[in-house]
Amino acid sequence: MQKEYIHIVLADDDEDDRLFFTDAFSELKMSTKVQTYNDGVALMDYLNQEDAILPNVLFLDLNMPRKSGIECLQEIKSNSKFDNIAIAIYSTSSSEEHIEETFVLGANIYIKKPNDFNALKKVLSDVITINWQYHTSGLNKENFLLRM
Amino acid sequence: MNILSFYRSPIFLRIVFVLSIAIIFFIAAVTYKQINALTNSSNQVLNTYNVAVELEKMYTYINDLETAKRDYIASNDQTIKFAIKIHQKEIEKALLKVEKITKGNKTQREYLKILRSLIKHKYYIVNSILAKDYSNGILGSTELNNDFLSGKKVMYDIRKVINKMITIEESLLNKRNSIYKDNQKTTPLYIYLTLLITLVLLVLSYVKMSKDLNNIKSYNNELLVSNESSNLSEIVGNYGTWQLNLDTNKYTFSDNEYRLLGYEPKAFKANLDDFMKHIHPDDYEMVKEVTLKMIYQEVLPSFTYRIYKTNGELRHFRASGRVVTKSEERILIGTTTDVTEVIIANQEIEERNRILESNNKELQAFNYVASHDLQEPLRKIETFISRLIDKDLDNLSESGQQYLSRINAAAGRMRILIDDLLQFSRTTRAEQVFMKTDLNELLENAKQEQAQLIEEKKAIINNETLPELEVVPFQIQQLFSNLINNSIKYSKENIPPVINISITEVDTESDEKINSITNTKFYKIIFSDNGIGFEQEYADKIFTLFTRLHNKDEYAGTGIGLAICKKIIENHKGYIFANSEIDRGSTFTIYLPKEI
Amino acid sequence: MKAFLKFDFTILTKKFLEEKLSSFGLKYTITGFGEVEFLENIPDEKIEEITSLLNEYGIEIIENQKTVLVQKIKDTIIEMVFKEDAPNVKASVYLAEKLNHSYGYLSNLFSEVTYASIENFIILQKIEYAKQLIVNDKLSLTEIAFKLNYSSVAHLSTQFKNTTGITPSQFQRIIAKRREIANTK
Repeated sequence: MQKEYIHIVLADDDEDDRLFFTDAFSELKMSTKVQTYNDGVALMDYLNQEDAILPNVLFLDLNMPRKSGIECLQEIKSNSKFDNIAIAIYSTSSSEEHIEETFVLGANIYIKKPNDFNALKKVLSDVITINWQYHTSGLNKENFLLRM
Repeated sequence: MNILSFYRSPIFLRIVFVLSIAIIFFIAAVTYKQINALTNSSNQVLNTYNVAVELEKMYTYINDLETAKRDYIASNDQTIKFAIKIHQKEIEKALLKVEKITKGNKTQREYLKILRSLIKHKYYIVNSILAKDYSNGILGSTELNNDFLSGKKVMYDIRKVINKMITIEESLLNKRNSIYKDNQKTTPLYIYLTLLITLVLLVLSYVKMSKDLNNIKSYNNELLVSNESSNLSEIVGNYGTWQLNLDTNKYTFSDNEYRLLGYEPKAFKANLDDFMKHIHPDDYEMVKEVTLKMIYQEVLPSFTYRIYKTNGELRHFRASGRVVTKSEERILIGTTTDVTEVIIANQEIEERNRILESNNKELQAFNYVASHDLQEPLRKIETFISRLIDKDLDNLSESGQQYLSRINAAAGRMRILIDDLLQFSRTTRAEQVFMKTDLNELLENAKQEQAQLIEEKKAIINNETLPELEVVPFQIQQLFSNLINNSIKYSKENIPPVINISITEVDTESDEKINSITNTKFYKIIFSDNGIGFEQEYADKIFTLFTRLHNKDEYAGTGIGLAICKKIIENHKGYIFANSEIDRGSTFTIYLPKEI
Repeated sequence: MKAFLKFDFTILTKKFLEEKLSSFGLKYTITGFGEVEFLENIPDEKIEEITSLLNEYGIEIIENQKTVLVQKIKDTIIEMVFKEDAPNVKASVYLAEKLNHSYGYLSNLFSEVTYASIENFIILQKIEYAKQLIVNDKLSLTEIAFKLNYSSVAHLSTQFKNTTGITPSQFQRIIAKRREIANTK
């Protein structure tokens, strides 16, 4: 399906969640390169580097110390350099108002962290697949909204 | 205006008064007339008498004349001529008198004329005789006889005329007498009648006046009592009243107005400055402004201020007033009420409310955060368990596997509990946005939420078309979802659950289960199922938090679901009731107001 | 002042290619949407130059025949969905007719290359179009459902939600709020 690697970045302050995340991708049969960061500051530092390899999909946890997921989201959306990144909010909350708010602020995807590993694998796989379809089908990135 | 109301009207007395005066004048006039008539009558009598007398006198004189003539003839006494002259003068005098008295009477004047001519004739005869000389003794007897008797006819005629004249006078007198007698009879009648009428009127007036007086007395009494009562009510109600005459700028304070400030009644002459002395310095400007406005705009809207009583105590007063016009005087009347207790009570209530609200907020926050943050570690546990089961189940011993499975089950229950708690905390959060929503959409979403369960148990849901309603969408969706979940969960084994949802419109009059004061129209939505049912005696209990009718081994559940439903319904100012019979399914009836 | 644009990609891409390819001084004809026939042989370096230039604009040169057909299937589907007055024929019939292959063959090929099904792709496209129409803000949800050949708004809603995870009305709301924020900036 794709010739190159899909670059994926996760920013999450929870060690266990990072572990789940990387384990899930390593078990999926997709050519992906996964990077994780401990908090928002580390993430933005990386992204703002001159020669940074920008991810195709960025997974953002909301509750992070120092810089929250929302703050990162706003920063990223205000910089046109990052327009091509599909942003997925990766969170424990399932409050409707929260979810809508992240979409309004520019997130493309909202994922509620599942409580089952297999479910997690499926979700991540679906996200990457759909994102890839968008990417290759020339569909409007602006309107790309997905909720898992 | 009928007689009775005329009697009662105030004009009555005035009219009676005027009437009485008129009657008095009338009586006076009548009396005057009578006296006049009387005088006239007596004058007439006198006149008639005078005429008769004078005529007789005149006849006598004429007789004397005749006699003198005869004497002369007999004696030829020349001195008799003097006597005759005197007699003539006397006759003249009498004639004149009679003429005067009978001036008005035409008939008498005619007779008088005749008389005069007759008397003249007499004079002629007498004079002719006087001219003769009878000194020679007796002249030829025939001449003497003739001379002697010459006056006889005249005398006879004169006598006849005089008699006639006297008769006329007499008849006149009679006539006048009878008229007078008539008058005498009728006049007293008139007088008595009018006197009677006057008497009646006076009696009526007296009665009215005394009644009026009694009324006034009793009104006065009532007023006194009323005054006393209002004074008392002022004391009891802890308020005072005051008046400001806008024209004279004079103040009047009621007794209690003084007491409110701590003074004895009428301790000082009522005036604004002495009152204002007691006002709290912070409120002084405001009160002054309002008072000035009150004097110029003639209205005093209700406002509150603080004062210090004479003993230094701080009180809160509320004053208000309005203008009243009594007999062309403009009076501003007002009340001053001591509302200190009310204000202090209010302040206390407000304080307690603040504390309660802040406590509530804390609890809600705690509730939410607790359930939210509990999810984290639980999720990890569940995920790691799933990893273990996936990857390393075979590496575990049998007991290990069993333990793991139980851990999983326990974690699952905890998950449900936390989910339910989170749900519950969401329904009690303050900010809820009501918007017009299609309930069918919410029902569809709820069905989707329960899709897996519906599929599993092959449940059938029949629903009528629901209306649009102003609600908090996610809450009503939750409500529907929980009710569906409940019905399916407590369905009979091996019998596919059937849920029927119906809707009607009702109002507070037709349905006695709802007794709302504010809303009258409700939508009544009924969820009924064919599940295992429950005893009706628990119909209220099942809505209480954490109450279950089964233990966890029979049916899974947290006892929160229906409590959430009830909370949601309460948020929407509606009602929810449960009806059931063991083995005969359950019915949940929801009432939602048509308008919030 | 805001203006809503509709793109005719055929014209757009054609003009663009003409512009770009002319700068290379090459002889070519544009034979279809996404099809260019070079009338002369082009050396490899030139091809690399052209490729990298086009890549900057997100244009890729597809080599594989299978990939080409799949692209054709996609294009046909897009054309079918986005047409103003879409014909009320079944997609399978339409595709088979247009591309001269059996639907079964096309379906298998599509899944092999993209790892996804044609039906999925069609749904994806329809929902994409629905999103566009919602963003354009001129039609109501009912009208949109009708335009896309859904039997009811509920049907559209269900598919929309299944595809994106949110309802069309939620999507509408989000777009509106995004617009608000953009306007106040």
